[in-house]
Amino acid sequence: MRLFLLISAICCCVNGLADFIRIGNTGEPATLDPHRYNLRLEETILNDLYLGLTTMNQAGQIVPGAAVSWEVSHDGLIWTFELRRDARWSDGKPVTAADFVFSYQRLLNPETASSLAFFMYPIKNAEAINSGNAPVSTLGVAALATHRLEIELEKPFPFFAERLLYPTAYPVPRHAITTHGENWVKPENIVTNGAFILADWRPQGFVELVKNQRFYDASNVALPGVRYIPVQNTTTALNRYRAGELDVILDFPAGELRWLRQRMPDHVRVSPLLSVMYLVFNVSEPPFDDIRIRKALALAIDRRILTEKVLESGEPVSYGLVPSIVANYPTATTQLPDRELARKLLTAAGFTQNKPLKLTLRYFTGDENKRIQIAIASMWRSVGVQTSLHHAELNAHFADLRQGDFQVAQAGWFGENNPEHYLELLMSDIGDVNYGRYISPKYDRLMRQAKRTADLETRITLLKGAEIEGLRDFGVIPLYSVMIRSLVDPQILGWQTNPRNVHGARYLRRK
Amino acid sequence: MARFIFRRLAFAIVTLWLVVSAAFFLIRAAPGGPFDGERRLPPAIEKNLLASYHLDEPLPVQYWRYLRMVGGGDLGPSFKQKDFTVNELISAGLPISLGLGISAFLLALLLGTSLGTFAALGHDTFRDRFLSGLATLGLAFPPLIVAPILVLVFAVGLAWLPAGGHSSPKHYVLPTIALSLPYIAAFARLSRIGCLEALGLPHVTTARAKGLSHPRLIFQHVFPSAFVPVLSFSGPAAAALLAGSMVVEEVFSLPGLGRYFVQGAINRDYTLVMGTVLVYAVLILVLNLLVDLLYGRLDPRVRSEMVASND
Repeated sequence: MRLFLLISAICCCVNGLADFIRIGNTGEPATLDPHRYNLRLEETILNDLYLGLTTMNQAGQIVPGAAVSWEVSHDGLIWTFELRRDARWSDGKPVTAADFVFSYQRLLNPETASSLAFFMYPIKNAEAINSGNAPVSTLGVAALATHRLEIELEKPFPFFAERLLYPTAYPVPRHAITTHGENWVKPENIVTNGAFILADWRPQGFVELVKNQRFYDASNVALPGVRYIPVQNTTTALNRYRAGELDVILDFPAGELRWLRQRMPDHVRVSPLLSVMYLVFNVSEPPFDDIRIRKALALAIDRRILTEKVLESGEPVSYGLVPSIVANYPTATTQLPDRELARKLLTAAGFTQNKPLKLTLRYFTGDENKRIQIAIASMWRSVGVQTSLHHAELNAHFADLRQGDFQVAQAGWFGENNPEHYLELLMSDIGDVNYGRYISPKYDRLMRQAKRTADLETRITLLKGAEIEGLRDFGVIPLYSVMIRSLVDPQILGWQTNPRNVHGARYLRRK
Repeated sequence: MARFIFRRLAFAIVTLWLVVSAAFFLIRAAPGGPFDGERRLPPAIEKNLLASYHLDEPLPVQYWRYLRMVGGGDLGPSFKQKDFTVNELISAGLPISLGLGISAFLLALLLGTSLGTFAALGHDTFRDRFLSGLATLGLAFPPLIVAPILVLVFAVGLAWLPAGGHSSPKHYVLPTIALSLPYIAAFARLSRIGCLEALGLPHVTTARAKGLSHPRLIFQHVFPSAFVPVLSFSGPAAAALLAGSMVVEEVFSLPGLGRYFVQGAINRDYTLVMGTVLVYAVLILVLNLLVDLLYGRLDPRVRSEMVASND
């Protein structure tokens, strides 16, 4: 291990550490095992280390990765991938279809205890295997030839190529895992197939990646390496960036945006993230089982004031549960605030000036969240509703929500270019992430029907129908999409803002 | 003396056991668990996760398992930092916290006591009042306020020193100053009061009347009694400084123990929290023992008590 560190230290000197890009990451990765990862801040690093069947270009669009091409059967159930013949692991071994079979079986094996294994539940028998009800060998993934992989799905899933972008779908090196067991992710043992390899990892200090010379497209990778430095505190990140110690920071304090736009406009990158922030009603508890109350509270909120006057970063307003930036999906119709109607609905439901509606609005700790909830409380006050605010830190907040221990609460969902990902939140059988216990047989029926449909257009129509149904019931109030706020040194080229906020270091270079 | 130390050690082990037990049950009583994120966990997966960390066992079984593990020197795997054990994380973070803590402690002790003595020797002059005022001001500025100002002035503005990181001694300058400032002030006040009191003690007056030279008087007779309050404060101060300051470590992105403690608590990383709590407890116990032993050296009355307690 010493020798390895020494060698990598020498390599760094030869390459010149100065050419490394230093990226201020929003926190410390919990793991670099793609099957055990759980955080968005790990996705960026894992995306540099590994190459899945599909991958993203600079703009965040899906492009071929370890697979050069793929075909989908007519019924949408069989996906056949032609693998890249020149793909190699960082130790020189070829990346084969058998590696993917091993990897997906490992991911879904209950013993791996992968928290995001469900991303791959579209694969045949995946859920049964992960629940311990079927042997791993029954997984619908097969190596037809050394470089041909077949994946059979449970139900048609047109968004599967996108699902393969997640680290859960990356291949892991069977030979390294067999040799080193749990320790295969340590810098001295790790083998990867992406544009970079792990050179060093100092917990809470930095994760250092160096260029993988065996990467199939290594000739187009300009950077000798990249350092991910965890800076959880956004003010610290900004200071270190301004002091020239970081080339990129992936978040900065929202309050500094205006100042930064004036002082360093060519550094600021602000763009919407695929996400939706929303309020959820506990519909199983009176008075929120009354649609009039929910509708009144929704109508009292002016989303544009929230984004334009309170947040001020240009957040896209959400009138639907699906973020407006999701591709190929019709945006929900604008719903303007109507205080007059809101007051009438409240009166009709039995709440008047003398007997006002009193409620508790829960949110999770954070400056931005706090300002938003205060603004919402004041909008509700203008229609005669008395709101008390209650906040808790993230884990406690969502633990309470899952147990249904709330009246009205803030929630958020991050994800993909796939409307289902968001709409599933209101299905009655989705489990406790349907925090408000919203139940609508019609919604469920449309969703189930959509999930059986292979044709994308018909599927989208059905999904849209479900969304309209859900919005009409006011089980949730979608508010806005979160913004990505980054600072990127103008010396760094190849950084394109994209709604997934994943920026492969293989596309970056210095001027 | 040996028996005194032995008794203190036995007492320390019982204290540690109590601390570990309290931490074990308190963190489990906190709402939310290590695997509650924003994302959904299907029941099957949650079951797999809980089983792989033995969290599905009854609490007494988990407790016994943990005690046995800790007894063997193993603090277990981190629930969140999945690629590291708690032992690995602590051995990475502790040296950084210790480095920062020792330099901050030494700076505070040396500068604080020098200033305090200097002020006391010029009792009621402008110098005394100026330094006392400065010390009060120092106490009023916690690192939370001082650290960002130091960064803005010396790192962002003047670019003399780095704003964060830990790769060279230079990186420790600003954090050391930020961390030690309130302690410099506290040490200055304590040593000033101590000196003033000592200057009025009968044996000091006698020594002075016998014509002892000023430096000898100060070093031989004033300091030993003046520094008793400084010493009592040193134990807890050193423990607090060595254990790492979450605020300073956060502002200067130093990967020390303080960050693990706070993040472990927020993430409900049970093993990491208990591991750091244990390290803190050990630090405090060891430092308090050291202080007690030093008392004996400074104050003969305490020494005789230690010997007496052996009978």
